[in-house]
Amino acid sequence: MPETTASKPRRGLSLDIYAVALALVLALLVRFNLIPAIKW
Amino acid sequence: MATALASSGPLSLDGPVHLGRRIAALIPGLLLLAAVGYAGKFIEQSISGYTKAHHLIFPNIEYVLWAIVLGLVISNTVGLPRVFQAGVATYEFWLKAGIVLLGSRFLLGDILHLGGISLLLVAVALTLSLSFMHLLGRSFHLKPKLTSLLAVGSAICGVSAIIAAKPAIEADDEDASYAIAAILALGAISLFTFPLIGHSLHLSDKAYGLWAGLAVDNTAEATAAGALYSDASGKIAVLAKTTRNALIGFVVLAYAIYWASRGEAHAVGNKAAFLWRKFPKFVLGFLLISLLATLGFFAKPQLTSLANLSRWSFLLTFAGVGLRTSFRELGKQGWRPFVVGAIGEVFIALVTLGLVYGADRFLHL
Repeated sequence: MPETTASKPRRGLSLDIYAVALALVLALLVRFNLIPAIKW
Repeated sequence: MATALASSGPLSLDGPVHLGRRIAALIPGLLLLAAVGYAGKFIEQSISGYTKAHHLIFPNIEYVLWAIVLGLVISNTVGLPRVFQAGVATYEFWLKAGIVLLGSRFLLGDILHLGGISLLLVAVALTLSLSFMHLLGRSFHLKPKLTSLLAVGSAICGVSAIIAAKPAIEADDEDASYAIAAILALGAISLFTFPLIGHSLHLSDKAYGLWAGLAVDNTAEATAAGALYSDASGKIAVLAKTTRNALIGFVVLAYAIYWASRGEAHAVGNKAAFLWRKFPKFVLGFLLISLLATLGFFAKPQLTSLANLSRWSFLLTFAGVGLRTSFRELGKQGWRPFVVGAIGEVFIALVTLGLVYGADRFLHL
């Protein structure tokens, strides 16, 4: 068997990166009071 | 659905026009997730308000269960029209964003303490469950690669582990869909059985959360199973499950090397790059937010806001868990992978329950 990487590279960024980016943006918005307090 | 989202990624950047079109295609499903999730929250609050006002004694049924049940009813009666499917598939995205935000509720020291215990328990459970699943697969004459996928799925982290392992061991699509169906069906069952067992054994929030995080396969179901018991156990379940997820690369790498050594898969080139590619990056986000919270970057009311954002994110996830579970589709996959998965799950649940009991006693959770 030829040596290759075991899986095909994926196009674009992974879902995880987008989820982390969104969470970090929200955390910064909360930290600098750029959005109102979030209620549950 | 989760597979489609994870592999092709409706959120990947192809260009501004494509991205705009893809985001627009997500809107109906997102609205459905929000409506079902909010309906679950509304039902819980209405019942709780009514029973309190009329001095009735009625067990509090969490919004988590209502959201899942409403989703199940929709997907198994009228079905999920195509227009909603892309948006509903984003439930996994909301799960990951919710987990990262949940990092704000942990001090880094707690993560190291509980994460360390989880890691130890995961290592023991992993060894036992992988061996047991292979034994079962042989007894039921399942194809060896299907057995590998079921073993990875039940021992590590459900659907994402199967998706990660499939190309690495060059399993075929049919095997992967059998294994995913079995794991999803068993995950749905665990949502209803785990809280009942936890309550009947009078498990503490920490012990139950650890058990749910170690034994329930799919991250969404593990989070839901934990949250169904209590808010505190939901938090612990996510931490234990995240520890399990962090090991995905190592297990998949071991399987890839095994199948390559038998000449039935390509050899793995750069092992460090392989591990990094398979590593769930949201774990790093979770640790980063926890580090910021530990360093006092957020004020107390801001931490409450972050915790609430995490809850809203999970609300969409729980609605998605119900909406994407179609019993008809699961039933089509045949009984043997399901039986092997079910026996394996019962074994893993018992082993992890024993381990959690032991850890509670000797390692002081």
